[in-house]
Amino acid sequence: MAMTTCKCFALCVLVLLAMSLAVAQQSTSNDANANGGSDEVLVVRGAKIYPISGPPIEKGVLVARGKKIEAVGTEGSVNVPINARVVDATGKVLMPGIVDSHSHIGIMGTPPPGGMGDVNEGSGPVQPQLRALDAINPDDPSIRIATTGGITTANIMPGSGNVIGGQTAYVKLRGHTIEDMLVPSSIGGMKMANGENPKHYARRNLAPMTRMEEAALARSTYIKAQEYKRKWDDYNKQIAAGSKDAKQPERDLGMEALVQVLDGKRIVQHHTHRNDDIMTVLRISDEFHYRVVLHHGTEAYLVADELAKRHVPVTLTIVDSPGGKLEAINNDFRAAGILEKAGVKVAINTDDNIDSSRFILREAALAVGAGMTEEGALRALTINGAEMLDLGNRIGTLEHGKDADFIILSGHPFSVYTKVLETWIDGEKVFDRSNPADLHYATGGFNVAGRYPKLEPAVVGEAP
Amino acid sequence: MKLTLRRAPLLILLCGISHIMLAQKVVVLAQHLYTMGNGPQGQPGTVFIENGKITAVQSGSRTPSGYIVLKAAYVTPGLIDAKTTAGISGAYNIPADQDQDEETDPNTADVRVMDSFNPREMLVAYINTYGVTTIQASPGISNPIAGQAGIFKTVGPKTVGPTVDELAVKPVSAIVFNLGESPKRVYGTKDKAPTTRMMTAAIIRKALLDAQAYQKKWDDWNSSEKKDASKQPARDLKQEPIVQALRGELPAIFNAYRADDIDTAIRLAREFKLKFMLSSVTEGYLEPQVMRQSGAAALVGPTLQRLGSLETSNASLENAAILAQAGVPVALMTGFEAYVPKNRVLLFEAAVAAANGLGFEGALRACTSDSAKILGIADRVGTLEPGKDADIVLFDNDPFEYTSHVLEVLVNGKVSYQRP
Repeated sequence: MAMTTCKCFALCVLVLLAMSLAVAQQSTSNDANANGGSDEVLVVRGAKIYPISGPPIEKGVLVARGKKIEAVGTEGSVNVPINARVVDATGKVLMPGIVDSHSHIGIMGTPPPGGMGDVNEGSGPVQPQLRALDAINPDDPSIRIATTGGITTANIMPGSGNVIGGQTAYVKLRGHTIEDMLVPSSIGGMKMANGENPKHYARRNLAPMTRMEEAALARSTYIKAQEYKRKWDDYNKQIAAGSKDAKQPERDLGMEALVQVLDGKRIVQHHTHRNDDIMTVLRISDEFHYRVVLHHGTEAYLVADELAKRHVPVTLTIVDSPGGKLEAINNDFRAAGILEKAGVKVAINTDDNIDSSRFILREAALAVGAGMTEEGALRALTINGAEMLDLGNRIGTLEHGKDADFIILSGHPFSVYTKVLETWIDGEKVFDRSNPADLHYATGGFNVAGRYPKLEPAVVGEAP
Repeated sequence: MKLTLRRAPLLILLCGISHIMLAQKVVVLAQHLYTMGNGPQGQPGTVFIENGKITAVQSGSRTPSGYIVLKAAYVTPGLIDAKTTAGISGAYNIPADQDQDEETDPNTADVRVMDSFNPREMLVAYINTYGVTTIQASPGISNPIAGQAGIFKTVGPKTVGPTVDELAVKPVSAIVFNLGESPKRVYGTKDKAPTTRMMTAAIIRKALLDAQAYQKKWDDWNSSEKKDASKQPARDLKQEPIVQALRGELPAIFNAYRADDIDTAIRLAREFKLKFMLSSVTEGYLEPQVMRQSGAAALVGPTLQRLGSLETSNASLENAAILAQAGVPVALMTGFEAYVPKNRVLLFEAAVAAANGLGFEGALRACTSDSAKILGIADRVGTLEPGKDADIVLFDNDPFEYTSHVLEVLVNGKVSYQRP
């Protein structure tokens, strides 16, 4: 009897293994075909659709085949295949999955295990060899919580405690391993920071103690990277020329990642607040000709025209009130609107856990209340963030060929009374508010779900 | 017209001040008036103001002559933040402007918020621009016995003049006790007591016992026939406010996050028969009946509590709704924020509570009329009724929508903020 169970179990494991291998292979090959893991067709109909790539569609239809969007349009104008799985979203609102261009979910720990957890490597201010992906816990509740806020893709980053903090990870919020989560073929960004935060080393009598030293550290590191690149370029040239005795330079993990920055393959994701710190970022990125996205950019509105002229994008962290940090004292909800008006590409991020991922729509709504256009705010939540991660061809709008990442809302995206009802990633539902187990990640108390008392329906009022 | 040089600066100053500030008679017309007391709730209404007080409230909107007229789509009472460190925990978050936690002694019953409160702190003006006109400013969360809170009106960008003493609605409103992680973290890192929740409770119980003994000494001396001056007990500022609490003259506030810390608060309050409130109560929704039976009001919040510590990781957006539904008197608060942002805005906290079960009027009550009753200041604020202070907020739309705007804020009938 025991033997049989054992054999049975082993067989099951083998079958499962084979199946998962097959699925893995299929998904890889299908991804290349821009088709998705299966050919299952999904149709969402009845919702007001914000495709972002075009004007809103009052009664729209979205058709997805496998992981990809096949078509988006008005009811009747879109070819709806028979045998499709149909989701009725009449009276609801549908928009692309939100792209959070600055987050620490999965790496901070929920709750944080004391100190900064795995966010900031405190052993030195220059850490380009570090990879966020080596510290992200796919099972951390913060990732599931983020899906309840409508976020489908995030740029998970090391913290701002270092001048060069390490390599960021562009992930979809699904999957049980970091390898599952990573956006296929993405390599992530390079986190950098200036201003107050990296100066924490001063407490230990270490560099940097000043903004001047922060800039000097960044510059001297990129000069090293230039030299490293030159050595490898020379070596590769010699090899290409057929040289037999070319000496291979030693590999350096940090330098390899910085060469990707110099080559324009990896965008610098730069924490910076004060207007002069922003100009320092630009001075150094000009010197080394790398691409940069400004993060926080609290005082970016003070140099808006300069940023517009140089086509430097900004991803803003909107918070409840100013204060808490000297360099962020001029935080102002009007910033997003001012930058938008000046022609700067703006995204809105959570910097979770500075803002909660559950409230990223709220952050955008606050920006709208202070002068940003609704259209601009919707772009700031979706395509603009996607483009800041070099993922604009894949996500951020609802268009043929893009990933089937979308959210269904109970009402207008910027109303406080609106709830995210469903979150879909690659054509699969990852959050459903009507599922009690999911609901507790949206409202809180996920850890104590069993003890959670039920609200009487009368109390769960929606809009007045 | 002779203009003396001495008067000139004053005139220039007066010209710069909004005409409304000088007017004695103001009328506010609302399409949706929420008096939160007797009078219209959501219907058109008119509020009459003279000399900083509300003189009359009427249904419908009429424009009487002789009044300065203000109009808005939505009009509510000024909001009351039931517990915050605004005013003593400054925006810069540098040692120079942080006065909320005297971390040198776990018992700082003797400290008073009024002696640190900076009415011109930028975050006070900031919350005023979002309609918060009254706050209970409380010492922070570090000390088991943290000190004496006070209730103050807020100063907005357009407010001129008042001192802390003039702003005080109740210079001393409560004595604040802290349970849970903070005290043990603060003192644990200094290798001092408390390093456990047990010790935090023991420190509080000992202080209450000491105060009972102190009270007895004074009672004995007071009731002695001779009142021998040489035998008069020495005054002890640490004991006096605790004695007031033991006598039921000063409410106690127990700040607790985890459900079992809430239980500890109730246990201590019962042992010493304190009149008390519970604040923060992050896990209160796990035991609404226990809280209701304790008889204590709950200062709930912030709604957007971070999951940043073990004791707050079960925070629920529905907390206030569940407690209110169970019959617990609920006032909303923003509490203490250690980092960015440096404090929270009650209007936003209430909005999220409104959208998560508390409902529009429930959330409004929890930061106006109910809050005033709980804090014992309902004779002055919390509703728009004749005789009350003219603390009024004018909105261009549903106050809780993020896309709405505060148009004007009146404190004591004077405009403290006007939307530019």
